[in-house]
Amino acid sequence: MSALTMTATTMRAPAMIGLIAAALVLLALAGVGFGSTWIPLQDVVGVFLGGGERTQSLIVLQFRLPRVVAAALGGGAIAVAGYLLQKVTRNSLASPDILGVVDGAALGVVIFLAGLSDESNALTTSIAYQPLAAGIGAATATALVFLLSGRQASSAIRLLLFGIAVAAVAKALTLVLMLIGPIYRTAQATRWIAGAVNEVNWSEIQVTAIALLPAMLLVLLVARKLAPTDLDETSARGVGLELPIFRIGIFILAAALTAIAVAFVGAIGFVGLMAPHLARMTVGRNATAAIIASFLFGALMLIGADLVVRVLFAPLEVPAGTVTAIIGTPYFLFLLMRKQSHDG
Amino acid sequence: MTDEPISPRIDVRELTLAYGAVKVLDTLTLPVERGKITVLAGPNGCGKSTLLRAIRRLHAANGGQILLDEMDISRLKSRDLARRIGLLAQSPSAPEDMTVEELVRLGRYPYQSMLQPWSRDDARAVEAALAGTGVVHLRGRNLGSLSGGQLQRAWIAMVLAQETDVICFDEPINHLDMAHQIECLEFVRALNVEHGRTVVLVLHDLNLAARYADKLVFVKAGAVVASGSPSELMTETLIEAVFGVQSMVITDPVHQRPLCIPIRNAAQAAE
Repeated sequence: MSALTMTATTMRAPAMIGLIAAALVLLALAGVGFGSTWIPLQDVVGVFLGGGERTQSLIVLQFRLPRVVAAALGGGAIAVAGYLLQKVTRNSLASPDILGVVDGAALGVVIFLAGLSDESNALTTSIAYQPLAAGIGAATATALVFLLSGRQASSAIRLLLFGIAVAAVAKALTLVLMLIGPIYRTAQATRWIAGAVNEVNWSEIQVTAIALLPAMLLVLLVARKLAPTDLDETSARGVGLELPIFRIGIFILAAALTAIAVAFVGAIGFVGLMAPHLARMTVGRNATAAIIASFLFGALMLIGADLVVRVLFAPLEVPAGTVTAIIGTPYFLFLLMRKQSHDG
Repeated sequence: MTDEPISPRIDVRELTLAYGAVKVLDTLTLPVERGKITVLAGPNGCGKSTLLRAIRRLHAANGGQILLDEMDISRLKSRDLARRIGLLAQSPSAPEDMTVEELVRLGRYPYQSMLQPWSRDDARAVEAALAGTGVVHLRGRNLGSLSGGQLQRAWIAMVLAQETDVICFDEPINHLDMAHQIECLEFVRALNVEHGRTVVLVLHDLNLAARYADKLVFVKAGAVVASGSPSELMTETLIEAVFGVQSMVITDPVHQRPLCIPIRNAAQAAE
């Protein structure tokens, strides 16, 4: 019996990942097809294969595909950051948005844009530094939250309260900078306040992908080391995981992933909270499988959110982050209430 | 019986350990004999748990050293140390939806690396640990569905799968009822007698300590007050000096071990 259940569980994760990946491809195709003009799926595929008319090919490759790819990379990165944070804090409510890392990264970008633009609102430096600015913001927010929560960083409520406080302050400062800043930045404001993929271009995606690739490789290497973090600190260290150092490494990695995402898709909320939960529910405890599934779910959610705003609000450009927030906030409250009834 | 020189398995030498400004252990010296059960006992806050955690290098020493087979533990890699000293924490915790087998497999963590995935040896060790603690039939069960005694056995199996020469238990019977307390300690004794493991235990119950210890160690205010066989240590004067309790010590008619009957708090008696 046990041999049977073992193969059933080991087979389940790859099968589920395959299913999620298939759903992602379908949604991505729909994401490219939908818009002010509907491009049938066979034409979308045709453009990918190098065919299609000129206008179709322009719409697909220059306007719609960057949106979908940016949503996939950004949503995926932020979801993996959420998985890592939840795992290493043993707290299912910990995620880059709730802990203020997302808004910290957004603030970093806004300060960068405000400080390094000239009078004509052009950046005086390469946008390749934008993820770095986001990284500094994310790392500062992370460090602040954990320093403020002190030794009880693994106790859920303290961590969340300081995280929410840091997020609120970062968001307020972002708003202030947007309001006093020149028009160029205000036009992009939705991105830094709610997260959006509508103005992303290929050069930004290139920077994102170049930063994301080594970060994800590192995450997959580290995945094998994650297993004991399910245990209490003493037991985890007892089996040979140097948790105090390891945890700091994971925080840095999560902050980096969040920064890479936020640098170009902006302050996307709740994907980092929800996607890891879906991943754990579908593929189980294995860290490598859960990381891959988290990435896919994160990508799926943000592409889906962007699709929803395009279908429901066109021709208005409503930021995709509002959809994730509208779905995510009640879910977060539900988890919080459930946690309190557990604790009390 | 053997011609080997008798060096202690673990040698704690003038260990000083502080939490910030508070000194918890003060130049404490204690040899832990190989293949024996050593039980640490003492009043609350005396530093016995800290000593156990220091032996597993969960606290860094502020002075002195701890030798494991004559090698300073601060020079060992954490993986190597985890292959040689196991520790069952005082109140260990794991997710309720984790299965017994998943928990026990974590005991093989120090044997794995990027280049060394799950091996036949790991599988064998897990099976042996499950069988040794009698939880084979529970392997697929979630930890949240187990009784206190079953859960404790699952945790012991996790530590056993680590296959360490030395196993430390920090108050392993704290949350167990009487039947499971005895079951747990009998199991620890079997580990020692049948498998020759060196065991270090922290116990609160002095009579159980006297019953299972080869060597009893009284710790008070961060130092070893006395150590020796239970019959040497279980005296009315020493118990009053260490625990502040007036008592009568008789011989347990069943096990022929000393048995302490507490009478009154010594401080109250002096008033």
